[in-house]
Amino acid sequence: MSNGQHIEQEDLALYSMQALAPAESAAVRAHLDTCATCRSVLADMLADVSLIAMTVPQQELPEGARQRFAATMAKTQQLAGTASKAAPKAVPVAGRPPIRHKHKHPSALGWFEWAITAAALLVACYLGYHDFELQRELDANREVIAQLSVQAARAQDLQRLMDALSSPQARQVTLTETRGTPQPVGHATYLPKSGALIFVASNLRPLVQSKTYELWLIPVGGKAPIPAGLFRPDAKGSAAVVLPPLPEGVDAKAFGVTVEAAQGASTPTLPIVMSGQ
Amino acid sequence: MPDGLSNPNAPEPRSSNGTDGSTNMDDQALLSAIQSGGQDAMSTFFDRYSKMVYSVALRVLHDSSEAQDVMQEIFIQVWRNPRAYDAARGSLAGWLVVVARNRAIDQLRRRKPADPVELFTLPSSMNLAQEAERSLLLEKIRKAMDGLPAEQRTAIELAFFEGLSHSEIAEKTGDPLGTVKTRIRLALMAIRKERT
Repeated sequence: MSNGQHIEQEDLALYSMQALAPAESAAVRAHLDTCATCRSVLADMLADVSLIAMTVPQQELPEGARQRFAATMAKTQQLAGTASKAAPKAVPVAGRPPIRHKHKHPSALGWFEWAITAAALLVACYLGYHDFELQRELDANREVIAQLSVQAARAQDLQRLMDALSSPQARQVTLTETRGTPQPVGHATYLPKSGALIFVASNLRPLVQSKTYELWLIPVGGKAPIPAGLFRPDAKGSAAVVLPPLPEGVDAKAFGVTVEAAQGASTPTLPIVMSGQ
Repeated sequence: MPDGLSNPNAPEPRSSNGTDGSTNMDDQALLSAIQSGGQDAMSTFFDRYSKMVYSVALRVLHDSSEAQDVMQEIFIQVWRNPRAYDAARGSLAGWLVVVARNRAIDQLRRRKPADPVELFTLPSSMNLAQEAERSLLLEKIRKAMDGLPAEQRTAIELAFFEGLSHSEIAEKTGDPLGTVKTRIRLALMAIRKERT
């Protein structure tokens, strides 16, 4: 990792992309805290990395994205000290004598001031307690709102599932293994408008623990395959993928299945073991 | 109830071109305006960079909804704390795309954000405020990426867009670890050559 004094450039390149193992990353980070030379090299690496990111073809924002952001921004407070301005300090004007306040008699007027202060403190305490109670009520309401949101999301998923299964516009695709017997078989039901997909498969060959099957949606127009869910067969060789997160409105040319590492992949690894269109 | 158009007392509709004249501000002036609580300035900032940030997140996540979440999170973070970015750190566009990529990879891997990415620095030579300059440079970089040997390009794409570690790349490609590291470094050097 280090050539004695500095981190190897190859490791800094990997660090710039967070591609080091956690222990290696921690070691680099510790070195960077004390080495300006390596920080400068890392800055150059990050510049290269940022250019890779900027070459990505720009896509139009989904409808409503700007409005959603504006709405969230309107509800979000900036951190303290960001928008506030410090109160200007009073500066005595040169040449004028300082203004002296008249010395007040301590008897009746002083007692009155103490009474006002005590009353203000009592009001502040009451308001503080009231605020505490309101905060508790708000927290309780937040919990209820969160639960209702989860239920609403589930209801929406169920509706999508029903639409996908019953809609005449849903595509039905059967996938079969391209070679060999017995024949694993899969069936995909896909509704492009909502991106709802249900996939069931049987006679799947077992996989080692470090591998998984991954389903792919292959869009029309030659666009990159879209990951559509990971699945491993049960003891009988059956598996299903139900409503994986897919973008809406994508026309599918075909579906395919590959074998990937356990955490899946974002691009398919050949060969395609099952396909259908 | 009269609608906003007929009601003479209705507030002016918010212009997408920035009623505070923020549209033509450079990035530093824009951030200063955001620091002062300028929502118009923040809207201009969003219009200027949201497509780029969204596109990077989408390239990694392949999911429009998740990419939107990453994009919104980044811009809300800028709104909440515009001081997190310091112009002395170099290109704002460069900073944003690296944050977008890192957050998207974190989302992909469902892990908590690792390093405090807001703290990294790009060299001052990376200031790409001028659109024409940026377009020309990006075209050169795209050609450089297209011209990379296939194995270098694969290594960079697996590391950058899929967030694989060097050992995961080595396992996936079947290449030795040292070879993977060298390929990534060589690919970055080819890109560096175009910008210097």
